[in-house]
Amino acid sequence: MNPLYARRRRTSSIAMTLCVGATIFGLVWLSMILFTLFWNGFAGLSVALFTQMTPPPNAQGGGLLNAIVGSLILTFLGIGVGAPIGILAGTYMAEYGRYSKITSVIRFINDILLSAPSIIIGLFVYGAVVVPMGGFSGLAGALALAVIALPVVVRTTEDMLLLVPTQLREAAAALGMPQSYMIRKITWRAARVGLVTGLLLAVARVSGETAPLLFTALSNQFWSVDLLKTMANLPVTINNFINNPDPNWKRLAWAGALLITLAVLSLNIVARSLSGGRNPK
Amino acid sequence: MNEMSSAQTMAKDSEGVKIAIRNLNFYYGAGKPSLKNINLSLRTNEVTAFIGPSGCGKSTLLRVLNRMYELYPNQRAEGEVLLDGQNILAPGLDLNLLRARVGMVFQKPTPFPMTIYENIAFGIRLYEKLPKSEMDGRVEEALRGAALWGEVMDKLDASGLSLSGGQQQRLCIARTVAIKPEVILFDEPCSALDPISTAKVEELIGELSEKYTIAIVTHNMQQAARVSKKTVFMYLGEMVEMDDTDKMFTSPSQQRTQDYITGRFG
Amino acid sequence: MTDGTSEHTVRAFDRELELLGRKIAEMGGIGEKMLADGIDALIRLDANLAQATIVMDKRLDMLQREVEETAVSIIARRQPVGVDLREIVAAIRISGDLERVGDLAKNIAKRAVTLSQEQRLPRAMIGLRHMGELAALQLKDVLDAYSQRDVERADSVWMRDQEIDALEDSVFRDLLTFMMEDPRNITICAQLLFCSKNVERVGDHATNIAETVHYILTGEMLPMERPKGESMGGK
Repeated sequence: MNPLYARRRRTSSIAMTLCVGATIFGLVWLSMILFTLFWNGFAGLSVALFTQMTPPPNAQGGGLLNAIVGSLILTFLGIGVGAPIGILAGTYMAEYGRYSKITSVIRFINDILLSAPSIIIGLFVYGAVVVPMGGFSGLAGALALAVIALPVVVRTTEDMLLLVPTQLREAAAALGMPQSYMIRKITWRAARVGLVTGLLLAVARVSGETAPLLFTALSNQFWSVDLLKTMANLPVTINNFINNPDPNWKRLAWAGALLITLAVLSLNIVARSLSGGRNPK
Repeated sequence: MNEMSSAQTMAKDSEGVKIAIRNLNFYYGAGKPSLKNINLSLRTNEVTAFIGPSGCGKSTLLRVLNRMYELYPNQRAEGEVLLDGQNILAPGLDLNLLRARVGMVFQKPTPFPMTIYENIAFGIRLYEKLPKSEMDGRVEEALRGAALWGEVMDKLDASGLSLSGGQQQRLCIARTVAIKPEVILFDEPCSALDPISTAKVEELIGELSEKYTIAIVTHNMQQAARVSKKTVFMYLGEMVEMDDTDKMFTSPSQQRTQDYITGRFG
Repeated sequence: MTDGTSEHTVRAFDRELELLGRKIAEMGGIGEKMLADGIDALIRLDANLAQATIVMDKRLDMLQREVEETAVSIIARRQPVGVDLREIVAAIRISGDLERVGDLAKNIAKRAVTLSQEQRLPRAMIGLRHMGELAALQLKDVLDAYSQRDVERADSVWMRDQEIDALEDSVFRDLLTFMMEDPRNITICAQLLFCSKNVERVGDHATNIAETVHYILTGEMLPMERPKGESMGGK
């Protein structure tokens, strides 16, 4: 065999081995995390988890109902505030302002916000909302989550809209379609799978955030859906419970972690299957 | 020999002129113009073909006729383009109304992501509010006009994207004629199609020219020879020659035209 | 006026057009020789020369078929336009004209064989020989005009056809007079009448070729009314 060819084959095999090895390395850690979560959290899974409130320390039983409900409320509200703003901003960047300088500035700032440590965002909301209001509240928590979700939605919206081919826009313009009409009826529609995926990713992102909630919504031992008071939520609850020697609390903490993981995992799977399966030919 | 007086000839000429282009210059950004001093006329209900090597400006010229370049920054046109005597380059002109009168079919078929019925109805709804029965009739009329009705009449609810390439292009043509324009611009409409679909579209263009004024840009000279009544040869942003297609392809008057059509270029 | 001086991007096309031109040139050469030899054989009553001339027609016919087939093939494969199209159409027409010239010369040669038994020939032969020389000149000129793409030369051939027509008239009158003098001359004169007709026809074909050459080079046809000489006694 040609010696050059033999050497290329050797190099190829080495590279392949390194790639596969790296993949396995990553997968191993991932499986270990998942395994640990399942192992420890499974014991805590029960119907009671979804029906009972967080127990006081050193008690028996109890559940995570108020935390689950609280998390749901905060996430829902956070997305409800952050996503529309994000979609509209992303639409501006991809459609109206596509060629303007200011769009690149916005994109730049957005990327910074996207990678900002969430604790900074929590502190910001603390100073801006909690202090003037005089206390922690679910509202502040929702706002913090909104600020975290916003750049994610902006980014995915702009990216997905930019993927819509210009020929489609030109075809719509050639019919004499006003731009806002075109965006609503054609561009958004063409990109809808991508936009929904972006939303799901944003939800997955904020549902696990802990640090911002520490300074804003804090937590609540009891049932409360009052936005103006502290609100229970899963991440902070897990944080509190895990740091305590009470084994009951520890059990509940692991179960909560497992819950969050399962929720985020399923959201990601749904998002992926949506974008993979329903693409037009 | 015809013995009309020159005044009569001019009057007869301007009667049949749908679009008159005068001293048109076009710029992509600052710098040298991409179209230089174009002067020509498109006659009503005639097919005019634009040929020339890549980069000669024929697509650019076409896109001036419905001001499609306005979608992009830094592109501007100077001069006059008169549609039925009215200058469409005038600032403040309603672009959407212009594009309702001057439709365009593009190189890549781009059906909207909706049903076949909706693709057609969508454009109509922009301008008219019609009850369903009337809309049904209009959709059928448009699809017949594009020689597509027979192939899709029992699957109007299927997605526009489920059609073949040639059918999609005819759907785009149907969509364009549905809003009853006066001029239709074709920008290399058959480049992405197989020979049979191409032949169907060419046949369609012939039929459409009875009701609409048509301008077609094409890389395929034989296609220009087949479908058009008049041909314009362009080179490096300038119009080199415009003549009856018959004459252009049997004995053109410019050496450059001759060199291009016989394949002696470059 | 536009021409095809520069080369095609696809070189094979140029080669095919050249092939066509060479075949026409060969046909022209054969046609000229056949005409000259045929007239010569007639004037000198040389049966051998006449026989040799008759045989040459075969090659001419074959070439004409080849030219047509080549031309049709080029049209199918290259879809020629502009000057290329005119050239190919011209090649088909010119090859047809030249093939007819060959047939006419062959016909003269055949009659030369028939007449070779005779002892004496009428004075009209001089006129006939003059006609033959003119026709040969026309043919040569027009073929030169074709190969050199000289439109002025082609146009002058087109104009000169009237001289041959005039000559044919005078030869006709001479032969008629000779026949009326002595009925024993009728056989010879009848043959010679046909020959003069054939030569005049050769002149017509040369004119046709001239029109075709004009069309290649200018893209336009010459006017329909070709200047004709005065004719007495119909054609």
